[in-house]
Amino acid sequence: MADVYEAGQTAGGVAETVSDSQPVKTQIVIQNLSVIYKDDGTRGDTVALQDVNLDIKKGEFVSLVGPSGCGKTTLLRVIADLIPATAGDVFISGLTPREARLEKRFGIVFQNPVLMDWRTIRRNVCLPLELLKMPKPLRTKKVTEMLDLVGLQEFGHHYPRELSGGMQQRVGIARALAIDPRILLMDEPFSALDEFTKEKLHEDLLHIWQQTNKTVVFVTHNIQEAVFLSDRVVVFSPHPGRVTSVVNITIPRPRTLSMKNTVEFTELVANVRSGFVGV
Amino acid sequence: MAPAKEKSVWKRIAQSPRTVTLVWVLGLIIIWEAGATIVGFTKRTPENVLPHLYQILASVFSFKKVTATQTAAQVVIINAGITLGRAAIGFIIGTAVGYLLALFMRLFVAVEKIVFPYLMLIQMIPILGMAPIVLAMSHDIDKSRIIIAAILTFYPVAVNTLAGFKSIEEEKFELFHSYAATTPEVYIKMMIPSSIPYLFTGLKISAPMAVTASILVDTLQGGGGLGCMLSQSLKHAMSIYVFWQIVFFSAFVGILSYYLMVLLEKVVTPGRKIAVQKTGGNE
Repeated sequence: MADVYEAGQTAGGVAETVSDSQPVKTQIVIQNLSVIYKDDGTRGDTVALQDVNLDIKKGEFVSLVGPSGCGKTTLLRVIADLIPATAGDVFISGLTPREARLEKRFGIVFQNPVLMDWRTIRRNVCLPLELLKMPKPLRTKKVTEMLDLVGLQEFGHHYPRELSGGMQQRVGIARALAIDPRILLMDEPFSALDEFTKEKLHEDLLHIWQQTNKTVVFVTHNIQEAVFLSDRVVVFSPHPGRVTSVVNITIPRPRTLSMKNTVEFTELVANVRSGFVGV
Repeated sequence: MAPAKEKSVWKRIAQSPRTVTLVWVLGLIIIWEAGATIVGFTKRTPENVLPHLYQILASVFSFKKVTATQTAAQVVIINAGITLGRAAIGFIIGTAVGYLLALFMRLFVAVEKIVFPYLMLIQMIPILGMAPIVLAMSHDIDKSRIIIAAILTFYPVAVNTLAGFKSIEEEKFELFHSYAATTPEVYIKMMIPSSIPYLFTGLKISAPMAVTASILVDTLQGGGGLGCMLSQSLKHAMSIYVFWQIVFFSAFVGILSYYLMVLLEKVVTPGRKIAVQKTGGNE
């Protein structure tokens, strides 16, 4: 059912956020999810996630925040089918994470850009399209489109090491979006960047998100970043990893950096912070 | 403030790597020439065993025949062709075997567990000990010379390439996993290109080794080659200049083979920064 709905959606490519004007579909369902890392040694098992329930709507920008070891990255990795769930279920438009992965529903952006240093920027963005066996003329067109989207048209024939960290991460985003996935999974993508680059990329990411209308799951330990970007912020706490609160971010869109100075923003940040338990 | 400026210029010259290289080369020349002079006073043979550098240089361009038909330079060039040809064939075979072995060790952990200790063992056997065994097995001195060059090459290639495979970041595998890439795709599009710089680290070690080893195994039997001529010239069956020409030529070719690998790497991997061992004023 969800497929029919989504197929109709992608055709137009209309820049519209999830709003009251459309029916809102749930895209990712997480039910009673637990992940336990077995430890054969003396320390015993680690409960990375305990009984997590969360629904993520289609086109929604959701951030998972919390301190190290709270399970936020674990949740992202379960969704991406990089690690298995110990108990509970995850469904992506009705599919298991494995099925969704094989259907190529995910674009992943890691903390490091993870670019192939022997490939030019164009060929890096092209890589997933090659794996998808897309015909060459279509690939060329798509790569150009993606580089336009992230503002790196002029750097297509450069190699990754010739680009700054922020630009490399843009390439990572372009590559993730190249296969037109339904879901963009981002694991602390900006944490290695300086503050100025980070803010620029925040604005750019929101811009890209509004143009492409993807569902974004964004893992970060930076509260301001989460509040500025998201529709909802899911707060995790460690030992055991669990969701302690979910904060709706009511700041209107499109968002600008100056909104960070508003009382509303500060209150929301405080609200998210109060969700941490036992840190 | 002219004097201060002048001083800084001097300081810069004194500290530049080129100056260091120059001092080194000059030092070596002085020591060599001093040695040559002293040996010249005490010589008991018609030719000075440690000739002056200009004499060696002159002998390269001399038309005087040192054998029935050839000048010193001709002896060196003809035999160099034989030796370096064998070294090159051995090097190529060794590289191919080493790389494939690394690939298999990465593909099958069992292969790594079984093969790796043997690799270490083979590496520990001195060439001169290995040569008779290889000769007994191959029944042909030329073949065994190639095999020995290959054996010396394949170890650095295999070990470095394997290290390359092991150093690939986990995220790269996760990225390919997320695109549901097949195992051949993972190898062709990611693991093999990732391993190339490590392969070249191996090649940069093994190329000069293949040259040196080939010269060494030449001495085992007759049949031409630089090593053969080296021992013959030392026994005064030929001119001593052949000996020194070969020594300098081999050193030069050894270094050249290293830079040949650097050059090849630059051609093969345009996007990468290439590690060159820092010496003197290079790069």
